Amino acid sequence: MTELSQRPRTAESAAAVVTEFFDRYRAHDVDGMTDLCSITARFSYVPVEIWGKQRVLRGDGTVGTVGKPLWTGLIASFPNLSNIVHSITSNDDGDVVVQADIEGTQQLAWGLIAPAGRHYREPHLFIFHVGPDLLIDGITAYWNDAGISQQLGHNEVD
Amino acid sequence: MTSPAPTSPAPTSPAPASPAPTRTAAEPVGEFLDAVARHDIDAAMAAVGPQVAVTVYPLGVADSGAGALRGVLDDLVRGFPDLVISVSRVIVTGDVVTALVKAEGTQSADYAGAINQEKHLDVDQAWRFETAGGLITAVAVYWCQAQLYRRLAVKRYDEIAIA
Repeated sequence: MTELSQRPRTAESAAAVVTEFFDRYRAHDVDGMTDLCSITARFSYVPVEIWGKQRVLRGDGTVGTVGKPLWTGLIASFPNLSNIVHSITSNDDGDVVVQADIEGTQQLAWGLIAPAGRHYREPHLFIFHVGPDLLIDGITAYWNDAGISQQLGHNEVD
Repeated sequence: MTSPAPTSPAPTSPAPASPAPTRTAAEPVGEFLDAVARHDIDAAMAAVGPQVAVTVYPLGVADSGAGALRGVLDDLVRGFPDLVISVSRVIVTGDVVTALVKAEGTQSADYAGAINQEKHLDVDQAWRFETAGGLITAVAVYWCQAQLYRRLAVKRYDEIAIA
């Protein structure tokens, strides 16, 4: 990260940080992914919501408190978890937009989905913000969770 | 979207100026979103190129041509006549414009296989537009269909039309 952080923030350097993030994700290096983020990096996985009787748990918080546990759990449930990056666009303000597929084969329970050894591959859109220090300070992601559930054989909405 | 690659592609920087230098990438997208918010689909389509690539992941739409996009918008407005589109953020990265929006409305007709139970919908969405020559040339739309079905009181993906 030292080499990256010594460069000024440009569209290219911001995209390079995010490219490295996906490389580390592909290598299951969750600590390395977190190292690319600021300590207060915002995190929002928009489709994540668990409806209880009195409250709704959402995938919002910080990378350290929500993102890291979520990535760790995802990798535990899908030991061959991988990503395929299709496009990265960026600007000099540090915004980076990524189209990527996330895929994996389920070995452990994931949420309400019991493991059946099935594989999923689902398109995702990630919006990153990279700060002037070349650390990621915001991650937001969108995808169709129904697509994942159905591919894994789980047909109940909740 | 390009075909799958084993490694991450080289990052792209803002692209060179388009053939229509008087229009920024954000302009046709702004016109499109404003028109959709007014439910003026004809005006929205005026900002779209005739061979636009249309991908709406939660609906399984992967098509091209203005008619494909018009069909998606018509279905949305027909299903939710009081549709409100709120744009929270627009991100311009070269010729790509990404809009984060919330779609809200009350179901008044069948939509995406779900029968009308007059439920209220609010779903966060991301619309990624590609532009060239002052027009939208590609759009990819992301939202979570589980969230949509949950709000429309659908219980199972394999029995969407059964309340």
